[in-house]
Amino acid sequence: MLKKIGLEKLDALASALMERGELFAPVAGDAGVDFQRIDNPGDVTLDFYNTLRSPKEVFFPQADDMVRYRLTHDGVETEEIPLDFEPRIILGVRPCDVRSFEVMDRLFAGGDIVDPYWEERRKSTTIIGYAFDRVDPADFYTTFGIGAADPTGSDIFMIKGEGDLFLKGITERGEELLGSISVLEDVSPENEGYFEEKIAESARLETRILATEGVPEKLEAVFEDPYWIEAAAPCLNCGVCTYVCPTCHCFDIQDETLFGKGARRRIWDSCMFTDFTLHTSGHNPRTKKSQRLRQRICHKFSYYVTNFDVVSCVGCGRCIRSCPVHIDIMAVVEGAAALP
Amino acid sequence: MMQNPYIPIPVVVDKIITEVTTKDIKTFRLAFVNTEDEERFQYLPGQFGELSIFGKGESPIGIASSPTQPGYLEFTVQKAGVVTSELHSIEEGFRMGVRGPLGNTWPIDYLKGKNVVIVGGGFAFTTLRSLLNYMIHEDNRSDFGKITVVYGAREPGLLIYKDELAAWEARDDVDMNVTVDKGDAAWTGREGFVPAVCEQVAPGSENAVAVICGPPVMIRFTLPVFFNLGFSKENIYTSLEMRMKCGIGKCGRCNVGSRYVCKDGPVFSLEELDKLTKEY
Repeated sequence: MLKKIGLEKLDALASALMERGELFAPVAGDAGVDFQRIDNPGDVTLDFYNTLRSPKEVFFPQADDMVRYRLTHDGVETEEIPLDFEPRIILGVRPCDVRSFEVMDRLFAGGDIVDPYWEERRKSTTIIGYAFDRVDPADFYTTFGIGAADPTGSDIFMIKGEGDLFLKGITERGEELLGSISVLEDVSPENEGYFEEKIAESARLETRILATEGVPEKLEAVFEDPYWIEAAAPCLNCGVCTYVCPTCHCFDIQDETLFGKGARRRIWDSCMFTDFTLHTSGHNPRTKKSQRLRQRICHKFSYYVTNFDVVSCVGCGRCIRSCPVHIDIMAVVEGAAALP
Repeated sequence: MMQNPYIPIPVVVDKIITEVTTKDIKTFRLAFVNTEDEERFQYLPGQFGELSIFGKGESPIGIASSPTQPGYLEFTVQKAGVVTSELHSIEEGFRMGVRGPLGNTWPIDYLKGKNVVIVGGGFAFTTLRSLLNYMIHEDNRSDFGKITVVYGAREPGLLIYKDELAAWEARDDVDMNVTVDKGDAAWTGREGFVPAVCEQVAPGSENAVAVICGPPVMIRFTLPVFFNLGFSKENIYTSLEMRMKCGIGKCGRCNVGSRYVCKDGPVFSLEELDKLTKEY
C-alpha cells in the first residue's frame, strides 16, 4: 500500500509512530544530523543528505550495558539486563545504510554463536527506508548493487515529493504498521504515478563505482607491499572513520565501577588505536599506523568477504566525508588493486 | 530466549596452588556453582576460557585441566594485568565467573594412532598439560602411540606442576624430558635449552606429530630442530596468543588475516600459519 502525508505534518507522523514503538529518527544537532531516540516529535527532520554517524547505534549502541553489578563486602551481586525490547521503529534510513544491517547480521546473527544484543534489537525493529534524491561525490554504494531508491531490507520505504512524503509498505510488518497510522492519507492514482516517477528518477542516480573483482585476493597478495606506508602517511589515527562507519563492528568489553556499583559494558572500539591489539606483555602485532590502516581495508574488502561472502562496506561515503586528512577509502582500495 | 554468550558461568575457587618460587604463577581450581553448567561445559584440551571478575574484567586463559578430571576446571595464570593481578590476590572460596569453552582444540582425532611429541617452555605448559593428562588417561592411552615430552624452564623454581612432573616421569608409557636452562645446588636433572634437548632426544618423525607451546624465542629455535628431524609443517602444531575480548569472533581484534585466534584458533598447524599474514 502507498500512503502520503504533507511534509509540514512530519511531527504528526512521528507522534503516531511513537505510539507504536520507540522511535529513532534523524535530528539536527550542532555538528549535523544524527539518529536519535525521539522524545519530542517536532525534533525529527528529513532535511539531510545522510546522517553524520550511521544508524547502527539503534542495534549496536556505542556503550551498551551487558551486566550490572554491585560490589558487596563479601562478593558481588549481579543483575542481568533483560533483552526483551519494546517494538522499535527507525525512520529515514538511506538504502546503503539499510544494506549495512544485513552485512552486520552475517557477523552478529550468523554462525554458531548469535549475539543477542544485536539480534533482539534487530528483531524488534521496523525499518523505514528513505530514498536519496541526489548523489554525493564521496559515495560509491552503486558498487554494491545498492540503488538510490532501493527498498530492499526496508519494511516501509519513503520518498520525499513536492510538499508530500510518500510511504510504501514493503514487508508484511511494514504494511501492518502503515495501515495502522491514521494521520496518513490515501493516495490518488495520480499520486501513485508521481511516486513511481520519483522512484524511477532516484533509481537512475549513480555513484562512483569501485571495481571489486579480484580485490580480496589482491589485498592478501600485496599485504607486505610498502604501499601501505604511503597510503597511511597522512592518517592521524583519529578513528573517526570507524565511528561513523555503518559496518565497523569492533568493540571492547570494560567493567566500569563507581562507588561500588558498575556495569560490564560493551563499547565501540577502533582498529585505528594502538592499544586495540596491545598484549598485557607489551607485545603488539600492530604498532604502526600503516598496519592499522591496512587492517581496516583488508578487514572490509578481504577478510570479511572470505568469512561472510560480502564486502563489509556499503559505500555510504561517511568515512570519506569525515576524514580530517581526506583519505578516500575507495581510492586506497583502488591503489592497492592497481599495484603490479 | 537464546543463551547469552557474554554472561559468565558462576564458579567458586576451590583451591589455589602457587606453582613457582617467584610466586607469580598460580593454578586456580574452579568448581561450578550449578551442576547443569558443568554438564554444559564440554571441552577438550587446547581450548580456553574467559576468566571473569566483575569490577575488574575478563582475561582469556587456556584450560589447564583435562576433561578426564571431572568436577572442576583449572587455569594456570601469571600475574600480569588488571584481572590476573586481582586473581593473584584472592583466596579460596572466592566466587567468580568463567565463559567458555572457547576456541578450537589440540587436534585430538588427528593425533590418534600417532606418536605425539609435546614440547613446552616456561609456563606455556598449561594446555599441553591438559593434552598430556587427557592422552595418558586409562580410557584414552591406547588411542595414542609413543608419547615424548620435552619441558623446560629457566630454573628449577620456575617449573610448574612439579608433583605431576614426578608422576609422569615415573610412568613407563611417557618419555619425559624435563630440563632447566640452569640448575641450582639441589637440581639433579637435565640442564640445557629446550631446542638442544629436543635435538638430543631426537623423536622420530615417522607417524608423529609435534605440539609446541612456549615463548617465541623457544619456538624460533625449536622449529628448525623438528624440520631437521623430518617433521612436516602439517605435523607441527602450536597455539597462538592474542589480545581478546569477546572470545567468540565478534569483537574484531584477534585476527591474523581472515582467521580469528579466539574462534578459528588458538591451535594452528604450521601449515595453516604459513598461509596467514605474519601479523601476530
